[in-house]
Amino acid sequence: MSKHDSARRAFLVRAAAGAGAVAGAGLLPDASGQNRGERHEAPAQLHSRGGAFFNQEDAATIAAFTERLMPGAAGKPGAREAGVLRYIDLALAGAYADLQDFYRRSLRQLDVYCRKTYQESFRRLDAARQDEVITALERDQVTGFTWPSGLEFFNIIRTHTMEGLFADPIYGGNQNFAGWRLVGFPGAQSIFTPADMRSRQAFTREPIIGLEASDESAKGRA
Amino acid sequence: MATEKTEVVIVGVGAAGGILAAELGKAGMKVIGLERGPRLATSDFTPHDELRYFERQELRPSVKRQPVTWRPNTNARAKPLPVLNYGNQAGGGTVHYGAVSWRFHEDDFRARSRTIERYGVSAIPEGSSLADWPLTYGDLEPYYDRAEYDLGVSGKAGNLEGRRIEGGNIFEAPRRREYPLPALLPDQSGVLFEAGARKLGYHPFSTPRAILSQPYQGRPGCTYCGFCQAFGCHVGAKSSILVTKLPEADKTGNFQLRTGTMCYRLNSDNSGRATGVAYYGPDGSDNTIEADLVILAPFIYDNTRLLLVSKTAKFPNGFANSSGQVGKHLMAHITPRVFATFDDRFVNIYMGPSAQKHSLDDFNADNFDHSGLGFIRGAQISVSPADLEAGPIGAAMSMDPPPGTPRWGAGYRDFLAKYFARHAAIVAQTENLPYADQMIDLDPDVRDQWGLPAPRLTYDWRRENEITRVEFMARKLEELGRAMGATRVWRGRMGPGAPGAHHEGGTRMGTDPATSVVNRFGQSWDVPNLFIVGSSTFPSMTGFNPTLTIQALAYMSADAIVKRYQSNPGPLV
Repeated sequence: MSKHDSARRAFLVRAAAGAGAVAGAGLLPDASGQNRGERHEAPAQLHSRGGAFFNQEDAATIAAFTERLMPGAAGKPGAREAGVLRYIDLALAGAYADLQDFYRRSLRQLDVYCRKTYQESFRRLDAARQDEVITALERDQVTGFTWPSGLEFFNIIRTHTMEGLFADPIYGGNQNFAGWRLVGFPGAQSIFTPADMRSRQAFTREPIIGLEASDESAKGRA
Repeated sequence: MATEKTEVVIVGVGAAGGILAAELGKAGMKVIGLERGPRLATSDFTPHDELRYFERQELRPSVKRQPVTWRPNTNARAKPLPVLNYGNQAGGGTVHYGAVSWRFHEDDFRARSRTIERYGVSAIPEGSSLADWPLTYGDLEPYYDRAEYDLGVSGKAGNLEGRRIEGGNIFEAPRRREYPLPALLPDQSGVLFEAGARKLGYHPFSTPRAILSQPYQGRPGCTYCGFCQAFGCHVGAKSSILVTKLPEADKTGNFQLRTGTMCYRLNSDNSGRATGVAYYGPDGSDNTIEADLVILAPFIYDNTRLLLVSKTAKFPNGFANSSGQVGKHLMAHITPRVFATFDDRFVNIYMGPSAQKHSLDDFNADNFDHSGLGFIRGAQISVSPADLEAGPIGAAMSMDPPPGTPRWGAGYRDFLAKYFARHAAIVAQTENLPYADQMIDLDPDVRDQWGLPAPRLTYDWRRENEITRVEFMARKLEELGRAMGATRVWRGRMGPGAPGAHHEGGTRMGTDPATSVVNRFGQSWDVPNLFIVGSSTFPSMTGFNPTLTIQALAYMSADAIVKRYQSNPGPLV
């Protein structure tokens, strides 16, 4: 880890602690119990905050929302574990910069809707209530959404969740190939043999291939 | 601002423009090719990246900088299309295409006559402008042959000089010889499709593709990586114009490629003769090329647009548009599809070339009796991934989950986790009829990055003939899915009427200058030193992918220009 990385990590930890103090412990479930002196902080925890675009509250909302779209379970990595928030955060600071206002307005409308309906922000609702809200968005049955509509927001965030789960890790999501492992995709293999083509079985030959490295070398780095 | 002179200027160096550049250059003609996008190389296409090329469509035009708008009818306000399904670089769509390379059927060239002969004139829907081509399959066969051998197409013949051959497409038109390369290996979806279709008495075969099944002309064979449709090929096995005709054009010493250039006007003199083109350079400069011969070969939108924006006193309705036909008869494929999942095995559909992997032709063209069906013409049916591209983003975006399974949440996660590697899509690519009111014109409200009016499409495929055919095909697809042994088969949703892939029309070819824009050689009736080559000239579209026919027409036009026009510039018909 370079000196720069250490400094950035320290900054992120401080920022997270600061945000947590303002917004409450529920905002940063992964930050609690972290040893700040620990050199090898797990990537999923670094990636669970915004920073490139999202402020801390919006980051927590996006993290909660995307986790409901693709929830994790034992042996089934979900949006949080894959780093979907980090993917969307980086995309909005770069390739999707023209969608910044789309997200800002959507999140504001979502917050108003949730406070009006449940007297609480989205990220603090329990999972069943969060699912209720997402269902209403998908059906375009939320009140108070002008632009973007509830359905437009649902469609975009669903799309970006899938991208964050399944795009190459170089874009910030799909950490440790979590998304590809979930569905059994071997990544950017440059060749399949005639025997591979004839197989009726799952393709399990390692390594999974990404843009920067195979998962074996990634493991070697960690 | 620069002005230069050349013999030939080609606008758009893709499937057609690349062939013309090489062939005219070889004949000693000085050619300048204008290309809107960059020139990429095989080395740019490794490693593969689904987000960049499939999802963000990097090899396609930008919908923001190069908008194309669509409205279902003239009463609706046009909105920018969310995806533009054509090329944006040297080599055009052949860089990212699935390389499916069909010869059209004999009756495809005379769909109107054939329909009348077999079902009577009343079978042609009112309002349809279905027309015969001004050439026959026999006229084009030598050029199909040349395209297949020159570019490198893999497949198995199903009709050698009239002799039907099982294992090939027995419905294909007679060919003089085998494909230059044997068929590509089937993947497991192809194996399942082959067995299921045979069980039903149909005639499946490995789809002919411009992808090398073994080394050819110094290029290596396909590695079956699966990153095919939407991607550039990382070994150069896809016979794109980038690795076939452009290097050939370079070698002639007579060809100059100008990338990053946007042709914005066709220039002409008072007699109505084309004098060249005006274009913006990559630095924003305003430039002129004076040329003896102007060839338009961009995607179809820009043919109509360039003609309409280049109107003159002599051609007040658009250059070379005395017929008033420019922009009309827009066609596009619609693709009803079903999804099939297999509980007892894996399919691993992400292996192998991704588009239309294995096909059957039993329900295409007039290969089956349409009596009493309520529609004419058919569809090509094939097995594919969810969206011709087989990565997990493609599956998540394009595969509708089965009824009862949500699009998100734990249920969706488990569906995708279990079935991503156990799914196939079965797709019909329908031959939608031409209608004069399906058209391209200039959007009065939307402009592109160069300030040109955006092409505006007025199009809705949901007509009685087309809807009836979609329902017929969807049932066939369900039947196929079950015959393949799928545990579950369900239909995908159909879109809202917008055009799908493979646009055709806008500068229709014909035999009559009053009702068509160009003759069989793509030569303008009004302006003999203007040629338009590409699917914009198709009078009807067929259920087949258009590229090999675009390329055969390009070879034919090149031949006519070199052998006849060059020595005697004037009307060829």
